[in-house]
Amino acid sequence: MKGSDVLKGTLKKLLNAALLLLAVLVLNFVLVHAAPGDPVEVLVGEMGGATPEMIEDLRKQFGLDQPLYVQIGTYLGNVLRGDLGHSLYYDQPVTQLIAGRIGPTLLLVTTALLSAVIIGTMLGVFSAQKRRSALSHLVTVISLAGFSAPVFWVGIMLILMFSVSIPLLPISGMSNAQGATTGIAYVLEVLHHLILPALSLALIYLAFYSRLSRASMLEVLGSDYVRTARAKGLTRRLVIYKHALRNAILPVVTFAGLQFGQVISGAVLVETVFAWPGLGTLAFDSILRRDTPTLLGILFFSALMVVVMNLLTDVIYRRIDPRIKTR
Amino acid sequence: MLDKLTKSIRSAVPIALAGTLALTTPAFADPKDGGTLTTFTTGYRTLNPAVQSGAATGMPGSQIFAGLVSVGADYEIQPYLAKSWTISDDFLTVTFKLVDNARFHDGQPITSEDVKFSMEGVRENHPFGRAMFGSVANIETPAADTVVLTLSKPVPGLMVSLQPLLMPIIPKHIYGDGQPLKTHPRNMENVVGSGPFKVLENNPAERLVLVKNDDFFIEGKPHLDRIAFPLVKDPLTRVLMLEKGEIAYAGFSGIRPNDAKRLEKVDGVTVTTDGYGAIGYIHYLELNLRDKPFSDHKVREAIARAVDTNFLSKVIFGGRTVPGTGPLHTGNPFYSADVPIYAPDLDKAAALLDEAGYPVGDDGTRFSFTLDVPSWAPAAHVPMAEYTQAQLAKLNIKVELRKAPDFGTWVKRISSWEYEATVNGSFNYPDPTIGVHRHFDCDNIKNVIWSNTQAYCDPEMDKMLDAAAVESDFDKRAAIYAAIQKKTQEDLAFIYMPQDFSVTVYNDTVKGLPNSPFGALAPFSDVYLDE
Repeated sequence: MKGSDVLKGTLKKLLNAALLLLAVLVLNFVLVHAAPGDPVEVLVGEMGGATPEMIEDLRKQFGLDQPLYVQIGTYLGNVLRGDLGHSLYYDQPVTQLIAGRIGPTLLLVTTALLSAVIIGTMLGVFSAQKRRSALSHLVTVISLAGFSAPVFWVGIMLILMFSVSIPLLPISGMSNAQGATTGIAYVLEVLHHLILPALSLALIYLAFYSRLSRASMLEVLGSDYVRTARAKGLTRRLVIYKHALRNAILPVVTFAGLQFGQVISGAVLVETVFAWPGLGTLAFDSILRRDTPTLLGILFFSALMVVVMNLLTDVIYRRIDPRIKTR
Repeated sequence: MLDKLTKSIRSAVPIALAGTLALTTPAFADPKDGGTLTTFTTGYRTLNPAVQSGAATGMPGSQIFAGLVSVGADYEIQPYLAKSWTISDDFLTVTFKLVDNARFHDGQPITSEDVKFSMEGVRENHPFGRAMFGSVANIETPAADTVVLTLSKPVPGLMVSLQPLLMPIIPKHIYGDGQPLKTHPRNMENVVGSGPFKVLENNPAERLVLVKNDDFFIEGKPHLDRIAFPLVKDPLTRVLMLEKGEIAYAGFSGIRPNDAKRLEKVDGVTVTTDGYGAIGYIHYLELNLRDKPFSDHKVREAIARAVDTNFLSKVIFGGRTVPGTGPLHTGNPFYSADVPIYAPDLDKAAALLDEAGYPVGDDGTRFSFTLDVPSWAPAAHVPMAEYTQAQLAKLNIKVELRKAPDFGTWVKRISSWEYEATVNGSFNYPDPTIGVHRHFDCDNIKNVIWSNTQAYCDPEMDKMLDAAAVESDFDKRAAIYAAIQKKTQEDLAFIYMPQDFSVTVYNDTVKGLPNSPFGALAPFSDVYLDE
């Protein structure tokens, strides 16, 4: 493949991504504004009521007195300049709000996803090799249970087990309520608080990846080249981990990339149960408060993550599977 | 209790006080200094109670800002930033003398100019600003420690409105820079207050931490080093944290009735419903009176007779609250029980509907309507709505429940008057001019939530409301409010459901909690930890 073709292909992908993001922006804007409810009425309700003059002032202040096409035009123009708008509820730039919340969400989701991918794949590979063993059935049962249990219920059960019955872990928040610690003590405190929410989230992913890697591994183990490798007299370890796993892991990488793009949707419930100060709780609150700019900002950011992760997955995929490079 | 209340309100309004009360609220045995009180927040958008009502801002706001006065257990008005005050014989001039050692958190002195600025700011920006201070015609500041209010008419509810929840003293040198007060950045960033606690950490995503104001103008107060408000939105998580001691204090409506029952069994935890009279949260069925069938009194009476509020009190609130009998909470000093009570009687209700011209039709129903259900107090409102639906079905009235997916949707429906009926609830606040008049005043039929959205209008009622708003004699005022309560029940302006279950849950190590009828929304200067 020529260098110019690669460049052309990359540019085409970037252009597609930009168009996709633009479509997402417009669609989100229309959908959010089509939903019943008025952000100013919510604010006024939160304030306990207000005079019609106050309501009118607020509407003007937020530009909500303008026709929808003017609002959408202004919004798209602002987004192109890197301005995602101003939160109606927090009275802060949306970019600043998202920046403040992305860290905790990334920490939570990365921990959960990485643990799930690594442990889930190991369990899947193991159960594929001994698929009729009792342990393999146990992995299947645990996977199905983990996948079907609602995440908020798992969270509450974990709190009851590890915070109330056996008081080992904190119930809520990302650090101690008093907020007095700094430095290493703070890091340890965060890790201590991270265990339960990350575990709640990881259990779902774990179930998914163990099932996925098991199915993928079973398919690969039955293929001709694995049989050939065995016939060549390679060790079992070499066959499994060098030849089979490298192919079996491809769907895992694909899904991990895609799921990482969906961090916010995955984190909403866990963050709410554990009062984890991330984007999930911000998204949840923004919906309830009709904080349209914040909600649109989070949706846009979420779409951006999906697009970026898709591109990255593509790159990683090419590195793992040399066949794709030559296509 | 009523005698005490009567006496206290009398002393609060017409009798001139001149430094006769001590600057402290009730003394507690050997209060200990130090420690952190951990409570919680459900989220707040501002820390400035001058522009925002409600508990989320009010609880921390009453710690960050001081008021001119504080309110004692029986509504007695106590000196706070104002060390004394005099009220003229015609009740039209009130003169306050301020304490001379009070400073804002940035070290600037608190002067009469700040008081004037605060009152004007509240009047223009607080949802109840006009109701509280609309009759303050002039605010003079003849000296740094003297404020003179000239009223266009007597305002009996003035003094009780001057505590920090409703009129916090905010710094003019910060907020007087020309930016709108409602959206001023200093409402959330680098907040400079006047109260017993300063803002140490304000991260609405995670927690608010207040720290002791060492230069507080009341010597020896506050006792606590810190008050921490971690963000805990999930009610079950709050209960578990209270059980485990991670939260030591939960006030207002943060705990559901069944959870309170569970917490009562936990050693070292106290559950009390005391201290919410001044807030006075009452639920009701609001019927849109503009159109038939609800414009017909007989239909309203039939519905009132179908809904057994005693049953609701027992089932929804576990018998921990009482049925509402009118627009005033039983904890309000003007509450009167002398009102018509519509005893549950389905036969009589059916007869009333027949008389009103709503017989059972060929389709087996008399009429049908949509009952809106708000999203903001589902534990109370959903069962109330479902019970109403079931009871009215017995009268062959078909009720369709329309549950709002979020607060905004419900607010929009009600404030635009595009509804037939809704389950609702509102706060009395300490003076009826603030929380009660708004629902019944003909001039307040507005497209604003918790105004007179149901369109109740009666000239006789208007006359009584106007009279009560300016009557300075407590007994005469109480008589007018008794008549108002009777009339709202006679007219069935609302169909009252139970009073709300507001509860305080605290660890027994927490002592010196406010005994004010403002409960969790009062200053915590006397609170200490006895660990």
